[in-house]
Parts: sequence; structure tokens; C-alpha cells
Amino acid sequence: MKSPKEQPVHTRREFLRTSVLGGALASTVPLFLEKTFLCLDTMAAATTGQVTTGKDGTILVVLQLAGGNDGLNTLVPFGDDAYYKARPKIALPAKDILRISDYAGFHPKLTGLRSLYGEGHLGMVQGVGYPNPNRSHFRSTEIWQTASDSEQILSDGWLGRYFDNCCRGVDPATVGVAIGGQTPQAFSSREPKGVAFSNPEQFRYMKEAANDPAAADQFMRQMNQPPDSEHSSLKENAGGSIGMLAGPADMDGSTVEFLQRTALDAQMSSDRILEITRKTKSTVDYPGSQLGNSLNMVGRLIAGGLPSRVYYVSQGGFDTHANQIPAHDRLMGDLDAALGAFIADLKAQGNLGRVLVLSFSEFGRRVTENASGGTDHGAAAPLFVLGGGVKPGLYGAYPSLTDLHDGDLKFSTDFRSVYATALERWLGVPSEVVLGKKYPLLPFV
Amino acid sequence: MFSPLSEKLWDRTRAAHLLNRAGFGGDPGEIDKLTAMGVAGAVDWFLKAPGDDELFPPPSLLEPSTRFEFKKREKAALTEDDRLAVRKQLGEIEHLSMLDLRLWWLNRMRYTTAPLREKMTLFWHGHFATSNQKVNDSWMMWGQNETLRQEALGKFPVLLKAISRDPAMIRWLDLGQSRKDHPNENFAREVMELFSLGEGHYTEQDIQQAAKAFTGYRIVPETGAFRFAERDYDPGTKIFFGKTGAFTGDDIIDTITSQPQCARFIGKKLWTFFVAGDPSEEVVQGFGELLLSNGYDIAATLGVLFRSEAFYSPHVMHHQIKGPVQWMIQTTRMLEIPLPDAKVLENSLAALGQVVFAPPNVKGWDGGRSWISAASLLYRYNLAAYLLSGKARVLGGGGTKTAAIPLSKIAPESVRKSPDQLVDHLAFRIFNYPFPEKDRATCLAFLGVDHDAENPARMPEKKPVPKPIPYTDAVVRDLMQLMMSTPFYQLN
Repeated sequence: MKSPKEQPVHTRREFLRTSVLGGALASTVPLFLEKTFLCLDTMAAATTGQVTTGKDGTILVVLQLAGGNDGLNTLVPFGDDAYYKARPKIALPAKDILRISDYAGFHPKLTGLRSLYGEGHLGMVQGVGYPNPNRSHFRSTEIWQTASDSEQILSDGWLGRYFDNCCRGVDPATVGVAIGGQTPQAFSSREPKGVAFSNPEQFRYMKEAANDPAAADQFMRQMNQPPDSEHSSLKENAGGSIGMLAGPADMDGSTVEFLQRTALDAQMSSDRILEITRKTKSTVDYPGSQLGNSLNMVGRLIAGGLPSRVYYVSQGGFDTHANQIPAHDRLMGDLDAALGAFIADLKAQGNLGRVLVLSFSEFGRRVTENASGGTDHGAAAPLFVLGGGVKPGLYGAYPSLTDLHDGDLKFSTDFRSVYATALERWLGVPSEVVLGKKYPLLPFV
Repeated sequence: MFSPLSEKLWDRTRAAHLLNRAGFGGDPGEIDKLTAMGVAGAVDWFLKAPGDDELFPPPSLLEPSTRFEFKKREKAALTEDDRLAVRKQLGEIEHLSMLDLRLWWLNRMRYTTAPLREKMTLFWHGHFATSNQKVNDSWMMWGQNETLRQEALGKFPVLLKAISRDPAMIRWLDLGQSRKDHPNENFAREVMELFSLGEGHYTEQDIQQAAKAFTGYRIVPETGAFRFAERDYDPGTKIFFGKTGAFTGDDIIDTITSQPQCARFIGKKLWTFFVAGDPSEEVVQGFGELLLSNGYDIAATLGVLFRSEAFYSPHVMHHQIKGPVQWMIQTTRMLEIPLPDAKVLENSLAALGQVVFAPPNVKGWDGGRSWISAASLLYRYNLAAYLLSGKARVLGGGGTKTAAIPLSKIAPESVRKSPDQLVDHLAFRIFNYPFPEKDRATCLAFLGVDHDAENPARMPEKKPVPKPIPYTDAVVRDLMQLMMSTPFYQLN
């Protein structure tokens, strides 16, 4: 019995040989794949020097706290009278705060994170935001997902641009995995694309719908094989195929080829994800919350050696306009338990050093509480960076609670500096092509 | 450039192409009807289809007067809790109202007798992409939808002026806050950048000046109607595209639409939607000129396009990726079944990336290849399986059994006796286009025919047992599922 980490990782070629064509074409490889490989290698060489995958390279896990997390009640400035003045009803008592300095400390429910901070696995970036903050959930989420300026509309996501620019050499198409029903906008890209699923058993071809499932699956694969395979005379072992193609090949090809390539990618990703999730079980207990389940899935995929370097999970419910205290307590508790289990899982796997978790929320909340015991949409807020490679500590300055912009905290760190740091110092790729310009890097990794 | 297609070349494949692109596809009977009309007759049928308003009574939505009552109650509430309760109730009603509206429009696309008008309404929705996520008022969203439908095939400048007065748009692009002493530039920018000219064809000064002209556009809270507020309007002099005058918003639109660039921009979008993406400079120029020479009349311009040889080029036919809405409507029309239940419909279109009344941003849907990802392609295959089999768990259990497809009509006894006949008969209904030989061979192999003895490598390892003739419903359904679980089925 092999340990999860030693499980075979198929290459695109092996996959074709073994799965799609049932062994019949063992020595031939579809022409377009040869082209793709050549092109991929050329582009990869130009960007990263060599291709790194999530099987052995570093991994980024993005955690979205949807709805606008109240940063002031997450990393609490208990040493500031202004905090207690602005929030007579919902300020957290100083005695309950899990202190990390004379000024700030964690929400009382974040006991696991407080320990991780002590163990040196957690950093907090303070006052993260962007100029001219937008207070619409919809729009501000879009800004964070696309890493745009406040007034700029971009369609592609920041991770999507990373896939486009830096992942073309990654085999296979599983460049990013989002756990959830819909692909996050952060993944929007031209090609290659990440995949999204809430349950791996749904991310597959449902052959059971047919009356003859075995035949349905077999013939579906046949119908979805790449176009040139039956005519391809290129022998992999002849070594001539690379030399025959001078210069970078056309990545685009026809629409039907694009669809066929995607179909192949879908089968490969689906087969591999199912193989891993069916075989790999966690050794730690995760909480049964949605985030717990999502991180459990990510932990299993990492353990199973999925080559994806980017994962995306989310937790909802942070839009605490009214009666915030019990709701936010529960959210913080769920977050702490799920992240605690995830870190323990990675530690047990021996993968903690390879993983960086980066949280974000579309905005923080208003400094002053509202009349309903809640808080309205705000601006800058702190975010978590978590993992074995993190240098613990506080980064950026805690924004002043009295020098405000329309009642909101002024940001001290542009969120794109955080992204740039994750890209350059963690994933090891140039950030400028992804973010459009250079942002100052932070020393959290 | 737009020389007409010879009537001699008119056939079922081309008729189906017109039906798919100018409308939402149909069953073989509808294709045959268009085939019999000839190209000129068929195009006229699309252009002159009478309105079908009477078939679609207005959806039952949360009306502005009711909403206004709720707002009054909210204001009058004595405690914060009461206020929240009122707000919550309003939110719930609005949510249901929006679901109704979405279902109403999708059903209208499914059953319309004026398919080109609905198709253009969908086009304009993507063009003037307005999302209820911000507007948060289904009544206004419906109002905009009706405006788009009414002006869908008319003259573009008329539509653009109507849109500038459209309450949903006013809220979407913050026009309602724009006043003389504080003009908001959001609408002024998008009206040029996204709605008419494209980036780089105006200056920042043009935006600032246009913003002054679009001041005073308001929504009446009690009725949700447009109102022009004279006292918020800036009647002063503006300098726009080098001209000086006390321009109104409508004057600005007249200046914009008099630019040949506007015709090129709109023409390019129409071409991308109906013909093919990335048109050459020559096509953009030529089609823009055609639009301009027709005085921006959309019906007249599309008429020339749909009659042209270029529209039926082999590089155009069956080369376009169906968008999610197109896929859904066309598939149910092709299978002659109603739309699936509301929950499946909502979930599917969200998973496939096209929720009407909720485009991702003001740029609308990117379309083309962006519709397809590994996850969405698998979802399309599974959705096809669901529609064919009615097995709800194929989509994760979310939904009820769907209507059974009329198998005895789709595959009558007469075509169930020979594998070639059955495959070709189904392929025409499903693809409306010649089927790649490789895929045809696979379908025959599925029926147990060793079609390609010379090239055994193409056959799966285990030879299937020939299926007994006449083919049963189960075999027909599996074969259809196989055909629809292909890259080829994603194309129009």
C-alpha cells in the first residue's frame, strides 16, 4: 500500500495512453498535445525557468471571508480608547482579548490562531485596502478578485492572470481548484482554467444517467478524444516531433480543438481528483462546517499530490449589520476550528512548510457601530497569512481609529502588495505580469 | 462584401444555421418550414415576425407602489427590530419577484414566436449589462427588459436615448445622484466606453462635459418612473467633441452616434454575436458602413447580413460556442420539452456562468471561449443527461424529475431499424450540421457496428455487443446522451 504522497501522478501523455485510448495507441501522441507541450515548455522557460507543480512546489490557499469581515473585532485594538468610544455595545472587553501586543490582540474565539501565532506560523497584515474604497459587496469583491483599481473594470481574475502567464507549463490543466459551486472571479482567465466543484463526486461525467453506464462512459471518452490522434504519425520515442516544429506553436487552434482540449482536461482533472479523494482520507478531525469540509477536501488533494498550486475556499456570512456579537462569535469560532484542523492536517502530512493560506474579505466594517448592534460596510481591514513558511508578526501599520476617511479606516497596505508578495516570494513568479505593475513586497514570507 | 446567398444553395443545414443564430434553434419541423421558405422568405419571417406580447402576460412582480408602502412602514417603525423585520420581509418578496422575472424571460425565449426580437433583447442585455445585484428592483429590471425588447430591432440612437432614461440604468450607473453642482461621471464614461464608441475614442474632457449634460435624470420613488428634474440639470454651455453649445443628454447621444466609430463599434459587437469573434478590420469597416447607411436600423442591417453568402460560410457555420442561455433554450426546443424546474434552471445557469439580470459587471459577458471551462463543460454534459433521463441526482439531486422527451416522435419506428438511419436521423436533430466521420463511427460502434474494420485502433478495446433491432427507447436515449456529451454539441 502506497502512502498518499507516493500515489502515481499521471502525465498528460500517460493519461492518453492509458485512459482515453485504452492502450491501443500507446506509442502515438496527439499532434496538438505535442504542439502544446513544446509551446508550454518555451513559455514556461521564459517565465519561471522551470515548471513547478503543487506536487512538490509551494501551494497557495486563498480563503475568502465573504460579506465583509469586521477587522476591528478580529484583530482588536484593545489598547485604543477610540475603539471603545466608537463601539459602546459591541466592543470586545480588553480582558478577553488574546493579546499579541500592548495594542492589539485576537478575537477571543481565535484561540487556535493565537497558538499558531505563538508557534510562528501566522502573520497579520494590518490595514489592507485600496485607494477610493468601494462599499458595494459586489463591486468591492470584484476589485479584490481582479486586483483592479477602484475605477477600473477588469474581467480576468488575478489568479486567472497568474494561470495565463505563469502556468502554461503545468501538467495537467488542474492549475487551480476552487471548492464551491461556482468558479470564483479570481480564477477567470483565458486558458488554462482552474476547476471548481463543491463535491468531487459531482465533478465528473455522470454515466449513471445512461441505461448502459459502462458503454456510455467508454464511448463518451472516445467521442471526446483529441482530433488529430488517429492521424498522428508522430512517435514519441522517435524524438523527431520536437525538431519538426520550429518555434512556438499556435496555442489557439480552432474552436473545436479548444473544446476537445478542455474536454480532455476535464476528464483528466476529474479522474485524478476522484482518484485522490476516494483514496486519501484525512488523519485529523475537521469540523463539520462548510469551511471545515472545504479545507478537508483541500488537505486531501494536497496529500494526494494533485499538481494544483492554487486552492480557493470561502466562508460566508460576514455581513453583520445587526446584532453582530453572537453571529461574529460563531464565524470566528468556525474559522478558527477549520483553520486549526487544516494546519494540523498539513503538519501531519509533512506539508505545512509548502502551504501558505491567505485570507481576504471585500472590506472591513465601519469603525462606529450602528443602532442595530451591528456594523455597516467599511474599508481597510487586516488579513491573515498562515503556514509553515510564514514569518510571524504584524505587518503594516494598524490604521488610526480617529483619522478616518468618511468614517472608515484608511488603508496602510495596498492589497496588491500582499498578492505581489504571494506571487513573487511564495509561488516564485514575477508579479508584474499578473498585477500590471510593481507593488512593494512585504516580508511575511 | 454582403452579396446575397443564391437561393439554389438554400438547404436544411443553412436554414438551421439561421434558426440557431437569429433565434434559439428548433426541432426538425421548424427547420423544414424555414427550408421551404427559401432564404429571402426565411429571413423575412424573422424580421417581420409580429410581436408576441399577448402570449406572455406581465410577470407578477413587486410593484413600485407596494415597495413604497414598505419604505413608509420602515420609516414609521418605532424600534430598530421592527425596522429590520420590515426590511427583511421586503428583501424576501423582492427575491421571489426576481426569480419570477428570470423564469418569465427564459420561458419567453423558449416559446417566443418572434425569436429574433428575443435574441436581440438578449444581445442588448449583454450590451447594456445591468445587474440586479446593485439595482435590487425586479420591477425596474423588467422595465429595462421591455425597453430593450421594444427597441431591439429599431434604430440604435433611439434605443440609446431610451436607455439613458431607463430607471434601472439610472440606478446601475449612479445617474440618479448626478446634479448640476456635482455631476457623476459614471454613466457619461460608460455611455461612450462600453455602449457606443469604445475606449480611446473620446477624451476625459468629453466625459466631464457629457456628465454635465446628463444631470437631472431621476426616478420617482412612488412609481419607479423616469422624471427629468429641471433644477438639478446643468443648462450651461458644454464643449463636446469640439462643438460648443448648451447640449442636453440627447444632444450628446446625437453627437456620439454621428461618429462613424459608433457604427463600427456596434457593428463589431453584432458581428461577434451573430457571425464570429475577432472580425477583421475590413469586416468591421464594411459592416459599420452598412449599419450607418441603414441609419442604424438594426432589422435592415441584420436582414442584409442574414441573406448574405458570408453568413453561411463554412468558416462561420457551426463554429460558435453556444452561450449557457442559448444552450438551455435551444436544447429544450430541440428536445421538444419545457424548461426544467426553476431550481434546476437557476442552479444550472449559475454553474454555467450566465445568470440573466445579473451579468458579472458593466462589460457584460465575455462570451466565446470564456463560456467553457473543465467544470462547465462537464456540467453541460451532465445537464444534457438530466434533460434526457430526468434523473435528478445527475445534477447533485437539486431538482425534480423533468419532463420526458417525446421519444416516439424524436425517433419513430421507421428509423429504428438500421444503425445508419438512426444515427443520421438523431444527428440532424441534435447538431443540425454534418457530423464528423470519426464521431459518426463511434456512434455506430456504440450500436455494435464494427464500422471501421480497417482501422481497429479507433475502436475501443472491448467490442460492444450489437444492440437488438429495432432499437429500444433506452438505446435511443443513450445514443442521444452520447451525441450531446461532445465538444461538437457545444457549437452552433
